[in-house]
Amino acid sequence: MISVEKLYKSYGTVEAVRDLSFEVRKGEVVGFLGPNGAGKSTTLRIVAGFLGANRGRVLINGHDIVAEPFEARSCIGYMPENVPLYPELRVSEYLRFRAELKRVRRADRAEAVRRVMRNVRVEDHADVVIAKLSKGYRQRVGLADALIASPPVLVLDEPTAGLDPNQIREVRELIRGLAAEHTVLLSTHILTEVEATCDRALVIHKGRLVAQGALEELSKLRETSTTHFVVRGDAQKALDVLEAQQGASKVRKRKDSAEEVSVLDVTWKGAPEATPDKVEHAVAALVGAGIAVREASPRKASLEEVFSLLTEEDAHSDHGSDRDGEAK
Amino acid sequence: MKGFWPVFKRDLFSTFVTPVAWVTIFVFLLLQGANFYLLVAHFTNQVDIAIDRGPVQWFFADSILQYFPLLMLAPALTMRSLAEERRSGTIEGLLTTPVSTPAVVLAKWAAAFVTYLAVWAPTLLYMIVLKRAGEVDWRVVASCYLGVALLGAAFTSLGVLMSAMTRSQVVALLLSLAAVIGLLIVGIGEMIFDNGPAHDLCAYVSILSQMADFSKGLIDTRRVIFDLTLTAAPLFITVRAVDAWRWG
Repeated sequence: MISVEKLYKSYGTVEAVRDLSFEVRKGEVVGFLGPNGAGKSTTLRIVAGFLGANRGRVLINGHDIVAEPFEARSCIGYMPENVPLYPELRVSEYLRFRAELKRVRRADRAEAVRRVMRNVRVEDHADVVIAKLSKGYRQRVGLADALIASPPVLVLDEPTAGLDPNQIREVRELIRGLAAEHTVLLSTHILTEVEATCDRALVIHKGRLVAQGALEELSKLRETSTTHFVVRGDAQKALDVLEAQQGASKVRKRKDSAEEVSVLDVTWKGAPEATPDKVEHAVAALVGAGIAVREASPRKASLEEVFSLLTEEDAHSDHGSDRDGEAK
Repeated sequence: MKGFWPVFKRDLFSTFVTPVAWVTIFVFLLLQGANFYLLVAHFTNQVDIAIDRGPVQWFFADSILQYFPLLMLAPALTMRSLAEERRSGTIEGLLTTPVSTPAVVLAKWAAAFVTYLAVWAPTLLYMIVLKRAGEVDWRVVASCYLGVALLGAAFTSLGVLMSAMTRSQVVALLLSLAAVIGLLIVGIGEMIFDNGPAHDLCAYVSILSQMADFSKGLIDTRRVIFDLTLTAAPLFITVRAVDAWRWG
């Protein structure tokens, strides 16, 4: 549905996107993941036909976004970052305007507006002037706008940015619900967002694709050899016990809190796959030493750590593991 | 012309639901009212009125007071046009729908031009007032309004272009004011230079002599061509400028 081939885009001397190629197949929800300034918005703008690339090609449903802009743009529902809307229009007026722009037939416009307002649950705000809407409602109106012409492809730039946790959950549910009928490409800098909504992720860093794959592969990347212990009892003794464990390379006491509970991080030698056994031994040893174990959990790497890991490996052209998609 | 109508309708709608248009109309009619009042006061004491120096000529061309509203109206109406769309980012949503850039630019201009005409419309009442007090040649009045409309088309077109140059409405306003006032100043050169190419050029672009001609019922094709060129050229450049943001 979306095919991006060897895309390059620079602003002056700054290269925002370098040799980016990827595909999004029909019915997929793909997360476009990267830290701020990685080139996500630039790429989505090129895909949506707002910006032109310096080199490379974008095909939407088989239509080249440059050579056949009308056909290609007709296939896309695009929600730009920060959802710019006309503040002086009412929600229903705005959606009717967008429906007309997107060439929804006159006879179907009213129904289309009603349908999308129902889908994103803004019917109760149909007559509210957009300037008076809260951030969450604006986001939903943006989503309604993207949906109004029932396009096969949705391109959403940071759909949950700036929302509160409840709204984030709602928008994510909404996006998941869209997956049945639409192919979705969404960008985010939050890893949990991808985990909550997407089938597959594309990881982009400094304008290049550094990894792509199904979510399980991505969460594997987040595995670390560090275990997070919460224990109750003599903290010093716990520290000694853990340090004495085989394979423990680094033990760090994170903090003490009330009722003798302390938090300790243990980093193990070797691969993350081998840690569970060591953790079992450590827990047994702690209990044996009269220390109560309240929690022992693997620590997940933050997105930044994953990025630095990926980009480091990219630089060393390490072609191991389950990561494809490095710049070819 | 994909997307002309929806953009045209939205621009007109937005102009009239926000205070911008109403404040502009208020200031415009206040200035025109003052102009008309002085005209009436002046001609009440005139015994002998020359046929080509009558109240209609005074109102449209001879009174210097006319040029403040005439020159300032278009920049005030076009400053938002593209600058605001770019500042707020709505241009992104607009240009990613199946519309063509010429259609969007033309719609923006057409909306500003129609608003311009609508703001001028109430001044027809002054002509009716004059008619009740004396003689008014409606063909001359029509020619005056043609001059106003042609200049308006050119000025709104320049305004849309300036609005495409910046994200700031204020900068857009200042740029278009500079453009139209610059044109006025060049036209004054007609009175400064002796005969020669400089004189001819200044005479050709002069807003003052254009309005003087039209106010006497003199429709000169050179003026019409000049105004239409000044309408088409900036619109063409605007289309290129809008595409340049996307490819730059």
